[in-house]
Amino acid sequence: MTTPLDDDIFLLVHEPIDLPHLVRHVRAPTDGAIVTFDGFVRNLSHNRSTLYLDYEAYESMALAKMREIGQQLHAKYAIHRVAIVHRLGRLEIGETSVFIAVSAPHRAAAFEACRYAIDTLKRTVPIWKKEYFEDGAVWAEGELPPAPVATPRAKPAS
Amino acid sequence: MRVKVLFFGRLKDVVGHSEESLEVLQASTIEQLFALHTERMPELAKYRSSLVASRNQEFASWDTPLHAGDEIAFLPPVSGG
Repeated sequence: MTTPLDDDIFLLVHEPIDLPHLVRHVRAPTDGAIVTFDGFVRNLSHNRSTLYLDYEAYESMALAKMREIGQQLHAKYAIHRVAIVHRLGRLEIGETSVFIAVSAPHRAAAFEACRYAIDTLKRTVPIWKKEYFEDGAVWAEGELPPAPVATPRAKPAS
Repeated sequence: MRVKVLFFGRLKDVVGHSEESLEVLQASTIEQLFALHTERMPELAKYRSSLVASRNQEFASWDTPLHAGDEIAFLPPVSGG
C-alpha cells in the first residue's frame, strides 16, 4: 500500500464526531472492506450508574501518538486509509468518544488493523477520562503506557 | 535553565494547575524534577510508581537529562477510548 498518509485523518474534537463522514472519507473504489470501531459512553462503571464523562488530553502528544498508530497500521497491514478521531470534554451516555475507520482491499487486514488501532490507542495515547456519578467523580483507572527503561534515545533539544 | 512542566488527570487535581514554567537549578533529570515537586507537595510521592514521563511529547525514562526549553509532562495511567 503506498497511500500517502495525508489521506488519513487524525483528530481531537470537542463536538460530536461525524461518523458517516469518516466512513465516506476512507472509502475508495480500490477497497473492498471498511471496518469501524465506535467506542461510546456506557451508563455503568464498576456497577455504578454513570451520569457523564469528561475527557481531557495532552493534545499535542495525543495527536502525535495517533499519527504514530496510523504509521504502524500502514507498515503492518495491507490497508488503504485510516481515520482515528477522539472527542474531548463532557460526553453524555451513548455518545461516541472514539471512532476508528480502516479501509482495505480485503477484510482481514481491515479487521486486524482496526483492532490493533483501538488496543494501541487505549495503551499509548495520553487521554484521560473522569467519571461522574451521583455522589462524586473519579479519574478512571487507566493503563500505564510502556515506559522506556533507559536513556540512550534521549537527544539534546535541537 | 527553564523548562515547562505539565500535569494531567488526577495529578493536575493534586498539584492544582496543569502547567508551569520553572527555572531549574538543582535538577538535571526528569526524576530530579519530580523530586523537586514532591518536596513541595509530599502527597505527590505516592503517585510516582503509577506515572510515566514524557519529554517533548515522547515517552521518556526517568533518568532522561533535562535541557533548556524542554516540555516535561507527568502522565497518569491513560484512559482514553
